[in-house]
Amino acid sequence: MVSDATLKNLHPLEVKTLLFYEDGATFDAPRMQVDLGLVLGQCNQALSWLEAKGFLRESQRRTDIFYERTDLGTEYAEKGTPVERMVRVLAEQGPLTLPDLAAAAGVENRDAGSSYGQLSKAGILAMDGEKRVRLEDPAAEPDRAIRQLLDRAAQAPLEHSQLSADEQKEIARHARKRGAATAMFKIIERESVSYELSETGTGVRTALRERGITGEEIGQVTPEMLRDGSWQGKTFREYGVDAPTSRLLPGRRNPYAEYLDSVKDKLVSLGFSEFDGPVVETEFWNSDALFMPQFHSARDIHDVYYVKTPRHAREIEEPYLSRVAEIHEKGGDTGSRGWGYHFDRDFTRRLILRSQGTVMSAKSLRDAEIPGKYFGILRCFRYDQVDATHLSDFYQTEGIVLGEDVNLRNLLGLLKMFAEELAGATEVRYVPGYFPFTEPSVEVHIKHPRLGWFELGGAGIFRPEVTKPMGVEVPVLAWGLGIDRMALMHLGLNDLRELFSSDIENVRLRRRQG
Amino acid sequence: MPKIEVYRDALIELIGSGPLTDEQLENIFPCAKAELDEAADETGIMKVELNDTNRPDLWSTAGLARQLRIYQGGEHPSYPFFSDATTTKESAGRKIVVDPSVREIRPWVVGFVMTGAPVNEAVLKDLIQTQEKLTWNYGRKRKSIAMGLYRSDLITYPVHYRGADPGETRFVPLQMEQELSLREILRDHPKGQEYAHIVEDLPLFPLLEDDTGEILSFPPVINSAHLGAVQEGDSSLFVELTGTDLDSLLHAASIVACDAADLGYTVEPVEVEYPWETPWGRSFTVPYYFQAPQRAGIAQITALLGVDFQDDEILRALERMGIEAAAADGTVEIRVPPYRNDFLHPVDVVEDVMIGCGMDYFAPQMPRDFTMGRLTPLEEYSRRLKTLLVGLGFQEMVFNYLGSGKDYIEKLYPRDEWDQAYARTVQVDNPMSENYAFVRPSVIASLLQAESVSANAVYPHNVFEVGKVAEQYEPDPTGTRTLTNLGFLTADRGAGFNLVNSRVSAILYYMGHGYSLRECRDSRFIPGRAAEILLQGTDRAVGVFGELHPRVLDAWGIQMPCTAGEINLEGLLDHGGKNGGSV
Repeated sequence: MVSDATLKNLHPLEVKTLLFYEDGATFDAPRMQVDLGLVLGQCNQALSWLEAKGFLRESQRRTDIFYERTDLGTEYAEKGTPVERMVRVLAEQGPLTLPDLAAAAGVENRDAGSSYGQLSKAGILAMDGEKRVRLEDPAAEPDRAIRQLLDRAAQAPLEHSQLSADEQKEIARHARKRGAATAMFKIIERESVSYELSETGTGVRTALRERGITGEEIGQVTPEMLRDGSWQGKTFREYGVDAPTSRLLPGRRNPYAEYLDSVKDKLVSLGFSEFDGPVVETEFWNSDALFMPQFHSARDIHDVYYVKTPRHAREIEEPYLSRVAEIHEKGGDTGSRGWGYHFDRDFTRRLILRSQGTVMSAKSLRDAEIPGKYFGILRCFRYDQVDATHLSDFYQTEGIVLGEDVNLRNLLGLLKMFAEELAGATEVRYVPGYFPFTEPSVEVHIKHPRLGWFELGGAGIFRPEVTKPMGVEVPVLAWGLGIDRMALMHLGLNDLRELFSSDIENVRLRRRQG
Repeated sequence: MPKIEVYRDALIELIGSGPLTDEQLENIFPCAKAELDEAADETGIMKVELNDTNRPDLWSTAGLARQLRIYQGGEHPSYPFFSDATTTKESAGRKIVVDPSVREIRPWVVGFVMTGAPVNEAVLKDLIQTQEKLTWNYGRKRKSIAMGLYRSDLITYPVHYRGADPGETRFVPLQMEQELSLREILRDHPKGQEYAHIVEDLPLFPLLEDDTGEILSFPPVINSAHLGAVQEGDSSLFVELTGTDLDSLLHAASIVACDAADLGYTVEPVEVEYPWETPWGRSFTVPYYFQAPQRAGIAQITALLGVDFQDDEILRALERMGIEAAAADGTVEIRVPPYRNDFLHPVDVVEDVMIGCGMDYFAPQMPRDFTMGRLTPLEEYSRRLKTLLVGLGFQEMVFNYLGSGKDYIEKLYPRDEWDQAYARTVQVDNPMSENYAFVRPSVIASLLQAESVSANAVYPHNVFEVGKVAEQYEPDPTGTRTLTNLGFLTADRGAGFNLVNSRVSAILYYMGHGYSLRECRDSRFIPGRAAEILLQGTDRAVGVFGELHPRVLDAWGIQMPCTAGEINLEGLLDHGGKNGGSV
């Protein structure tokens, strides 16, 4: 029984071949060219497909000999063979000595000698008393046989079996298999295979006939067919729709960037406005404005990247500098006692690469609306050995909420919403945390359906030492989320470095998991 | 964040509420912002991380146990050995006399004595750990606080603290057998080398010696091998701290004294006598309670925590944290525990109320204010642009922003342009490796880096990124600026100027910008096959594109023709996406 799929997977060339040849008929590619009106390439394709499917069987294999004109043969065909040239020169110039003849005909002396011997024997040339060669028989056509063969071989090699016995004898004198540069023809041996239908092939042919498939069905519908209506009354070739497809290289978003966009969209939908800022910051904004004392251990040279040139900002905007300096030293008007040390106004201008997204939270306070909600997904830089869990630059997700009445419970409410909306958490737990710029501070731990318990982020209420110098008198909830673990999970990865992969193939194949 | 090692058994015993599983410990750790980092190993030592850098009192077994014990309702310790502004405890002749010569070099010293059972390995280990954590994390690596332990029985009081001649003064330091001068210690002793930077430029070096002239130590560097070699079995230890900030020293001394008391030692006060007026008088006795009471308005506590507290609820919560407090006239006043000094502002009281109540006390509640969310205009714009690039068949990439000068500059420009290119680039002063020494000046560099490792990927390669680049920029107060750029690159047998030109044309048409092109000499591209994009009505180039020069491709080891371009988004956005143009 021949399956539907077998028939659908036949190419029209295969169909035509199967239908044309009866049981026991043998055929090869040249035969098919004639029988089916195909070009050689199509014939070979059809044969190889059919043979691979087992629909054909090899019936005969023979070696055909061909004679191909060499470069020398081509030259002789165009300019004449040495013999032809000698006869032509004598006919035009009269008797010449053998060396003069050789020179005039462009033939080597040695070759001229042997050719003379050959032609004098045939009575075409003779030597006169002054040792000059003379043309005896002007009507003679020496080398006529080989001349004809050379001319016939101009388009395609000559096949041995197509030549007469004389021709075969003649060409054998001028053809070589190897070292053919000095011969007129090169001998080429070609294997030719003939096929006949196998039993399976016969079965398929029967099935094709039963189904009325002719190989003339319409394949690609063309604009011409649609214009002239020639499709009418014809049938369409049915395709094997489950055949493997070829690969396309579509233009595509990067799935990590897409994930970050989805987080941004979610935050926007929750009423947050986006902020952004430069990657080069001052110590002032990166840490001082966040009430981190200048001697704080997290501000060591080994945690932050410093900029080499320029080293310092020219100035820090007032009144922020004076307010922050005073607050660090004695608390200013914030009700704080401050850190009680001498604030270094040079160090605060030192340029660094932003090490925490909270910088922008603090900066945004300057012109924040009340009530207001803001967020940013910001590239940050840390002095860390790069490995699967640490990068020298990475994204942090941070935000703030300002309002007359916002409080700790609102902060927990927000964190719960983030946990559920952004992380799909099933359980949420809060523990007291510590950040230099918030008081009180909490950490939020979540139970994720796939990742289990982990710390989603940290949050708190900005210290008045942070908000007041920026001119904000209302409480400010500040939060930061670690979304990289979820990003990795979404992409089926477990190495942070992969998020920033340079490998194009790798990125092309990457997709969201679940 | 400090991480400490504690003997699990010792911790459980000090907590005093019977056996606890690790899980039970982890449930009560949050009141100390502690996390179990590693469970106990076969020697019984577990590792605990303490998150609050302003709570050095928690960085020891006794200190951590104290917070956990009190929180669990255990006994509140009393520490009767503290002197304060009104009370001076008996120091029985134990005294440190401060010489005027230290005032300009390392002015402050405090000390006390602990006596009791001979110290065992666990106690000694914990004391040394406390010393390390206090002086490293809280004392800025011994700069502002250094601490020494000595065998008190061998000391003839008073102890003298003075400035000593670095060349003349000699003693045998710990871990050495021969006498070295102070200067030689800085040069030859491992601790000397480590801490030399704190003292080496001073005219005199700090020195502690007893009344017979025997040297205790050269703070903050090293103890003497005799008086300063504390060992298991010693039952009377002199604890001394020197530094640059008196309150921090008193606080650190209080922490160690309270720990000693909790471990069952008797704390014996030591008087310190200064030749100048200090905030606490010319002479005071240590341990000394210096903290001022902290007040917080009940209205403020209520507002920040979002709960209508009764006064006594607040007091109970603070009590769970080990804090004595009283409420009157809408204000809570707390007596700061002697081992703490982290109440800078009323909000610090609020946090202790929060922890004292426990997080479960606070029901999450959404903020009620309505606000409108929006993306930045730049983000909106770049999303439209990305959609377009994807439609043109480009794969978006996301790259790191730090790289090497070789990648960002040398592989892009001919040698005679390197200096100029480096001078535009933002360089890191303290790179961890030369692979992360520059902020990228262009997206094209990242795209080339990707192409150079992607010869295995089926061609054509069409890749892009919208991302940040940085450059030096004089007009900005920081002397730098960050830009958002679109970079795109095509690597393919047929990559050529005409195709990239068509793409740029399509991008700018759909983004709504009229523009013209001007041939530009940018040595990254083949001469005559690079163009600058001038937006309609401006003569400022917002971008450049063309066929990358084979020199560039060769430097990257790329064997496929490439076209690339880079367009600044701020420039496009400023232009406002006006219509018209050549398309």
